[in-house]
Amino acid sequence: MAALLDKRLWIVSGKGGVGKSTIAAALALRSARAGRRTLVCEVNAQERISRMLGHEPVGPQITPLEENLWAVDVRPQEAMREYALMVLRFETLYKTVFENKVVRYFLRFIPSLQELVLLGKILFHAQEKRPDGKPLWDTIVMDAPATGHAITFLRVPQVLLQTVPPGPMSREALKMKDLLEDPAVTAAVLVSLPEELPVNETLELHTALRDQVRVRTHAAVLNATFPERFSEDDLEALVDQPELLQVARAHHARAAQTVLAQVKLERNLNVPVHRVPRIFTPNFDRSAIEQVMRHLESLVTGKEGP
Amino acid sequence: MNALSQALAHKRVLVSVGSGGVGKTTISATLALRAAVDGRSSLVCTIDPAKRLANALGLNALGNVEAEVPASAVEPLGITPRARLHAMMLDMKATWDELILRHAPADKREKILSNRFYQSLSSALAGSQEYVALEKLWELRNQRDYELIVLDTPPTAHALDFLEAPNRVLDFLDNEAARWLLTPALAAGKVGLSLFNLGGSYMAKTISKFTGTETLQELANFMLSIAPMNESFRERARGVRELLKAEQTGFVLVTSPGRERLDEVMHFHRLLQQNRMEVVAVVVNRVHPLPGPALWEEARGLLPTRRTKVEETLNEMTLLAEQDARGIAELQAACGSTPLIQVPRFELDVHEIGALWRTGRFLMGEELIPTPPPLLTSGGPE
Repeated sequence: MAALLDKRLWIVSGKGGVGKSTIAAALALRSARAGRRTLVCEVNAQERISRMLGHEPVGPQITPLEENLWAVDVRPQEAMREYALMVLRFETLYKTVFENKVVRYFLRFIPSLQELVLLGKILFHAQEKRPDGKPLWDTIVMDAPATGHAITFLRVPQVLLQTVPPGPMSREALKMKDLLEDPAVTAAVLVSLPEELPVNETLELHTALRDQVRVRTHAAVLNATFPERFSEDDLEALVDQPELLQVARAHHARAAQTVLAQVKLERNLNVPVHRVPRIFTPNFDRSAIEQVMRHLESLVTGKEGP
Repeated sequence: MNALSQALAHKRVLVSVGSGGVGKTTISATLALRAAVDGRSSLVCTIDPAKRLANALGLNALGNVEAEVPASAVEPLGITPRARLHAMMLDMKATWDELILRHAPADKREKILSNRFYQSLSSALAGSQEYVALEKLWELRNQRDYELIVLDTPPTAHALDFLEAPNRVLDFLDNEAARWLLTPALAAGKVGLSLFNLGGSYMAKTISKFTGTETLQELANFMLSIAPMNESFRERARGVRELLKAEQTGFVLVTSPGRERLDEVMHFHRLLQQNRMEVVAVVVNRVHPLPGPALWEEARGLLPTRRTKVEETLNEMTLLAEQDARGIAELQAACGSTPLIQVPRFELDVHEIGALWRTGRFLMGEELIPTPPPLLTSGGPE
């Protein structure tokens, strides 16, 4: 089984509400534990990852969380400023032009510019180098937007290449596209739930990533699964206690759905599907993330867990 | 009568909003179904390519035109709706094209439809889905005579996007700043001039460093060709804004009880109120009900191994119910007087008419979820 650790840019996506950020947080933590300098990026989000890991929200600056782990919330205004400064090189020029109210207003109409600078910032970090020429970050975990938005977001370089004539924006877009399409660097992890609609959406996302963005799916994570618990005998024995039977049946049905979902994902994605059981803790905190992380061991290292 | 059943009886437009994956489409369809059953002709306009929803409504597929839900689809309920129910699925690109075909001057249509900026605007530009959904709503409201239209909105990454996006697109189509920068060329109607002829301003030159000269030029061309439509865009936008604030319009906020969703829905609730848009109710979907004491009592009589399994399951159910209850209490505190309506998590996805009906019973307050007593929810290790 291929290790996720062999890739540098991990894109985590899936339908809304499937636990993307949880999985992104657990993956980032595992990468850091492997001794790799890891940056976890949220995209204009509510900074759930740093909080899940038991830290204060980090804001738009790259902030160290703990050993080998940094986090950032990539936001449009700051990303735009960084991008503009990179192109213009002069702070004063930036200030007179880009902090002009009318210009700011105008920039909002350049189609997809906002998405371009957000994605651009993340991909810029993916290309940053140390003085010795090695990449500054060993792992970048991108907590990408949910399904539909993820495709729009990741397709921005392509849309721009089709829309804008050659120039600074298109040069930037081309660099970004190359990086995303490089299977040696980039890998997508698709998060799903053992329910029909999320599974179908995962399959659609996989196809769209492959055909429209040319990003390869490395693995799927089936989140919040239920183990088999009640046997057919158990169900039969409860037949005279309809309410208990309903409780057992509901659990049984969810366990069956887990199996169905796994089979469907494996057959259609042709990648390993890693199960993460539903975690029952009163508060979904750091200890829950650590539990989730243990179930992702083989996904990250490529080796079967203990 | 709860808040939603009142809204179904009196509102003309209900807009269901919320982040992705919370069940907005199901809630929207259920609301329209209930209204039709109770005698108001209704239309549910959905965004998701929800084939399952179409099937649940007895339709092979939903398209960009309104289709009547056949009586046979509702038959299994043993109920005859007193009014007609329609459903449609919004096709974004088709709606944009229709808009251009209807409002652009004849000699500009082709030019607009083939412009690269238009193509990315109509299919890929973030925010254009939200814009076109509201456009369609405005059109349906003005040109059809449904007593109630339920609009299911695109799942926004951020609640804010839904309210902002239309303005963003509108600004793009009709913007003073661009006019200020590009005025000489626009006024002269000369397309194909170099950018330096365009405005020659310091601002334009610097921006072109950023975007490329030709990008600005192309954008100018697009704006020039779309300019004759500006007045009608503006007028429609005013209409949409008025419609959203109208007394006969209500918002239904849909969320799931998970912690990560709650911050967002509270934020959205505040925003809608600031914008003077009425939130009829917050629907908390897929709530885990609390297993009652009778179940625990009953479990005690089981054989030991079986009892262990059942009790383990009841324990898990209780934990989930308590988690949800904590979130809901927080949400209620943040939403003030807006009614909160809870719909339970059903064992399987809701995708057939019977399940839609059951969902409706909870929406209308005819059935309630057993929730943990407050003592359980306030304590617990934090």
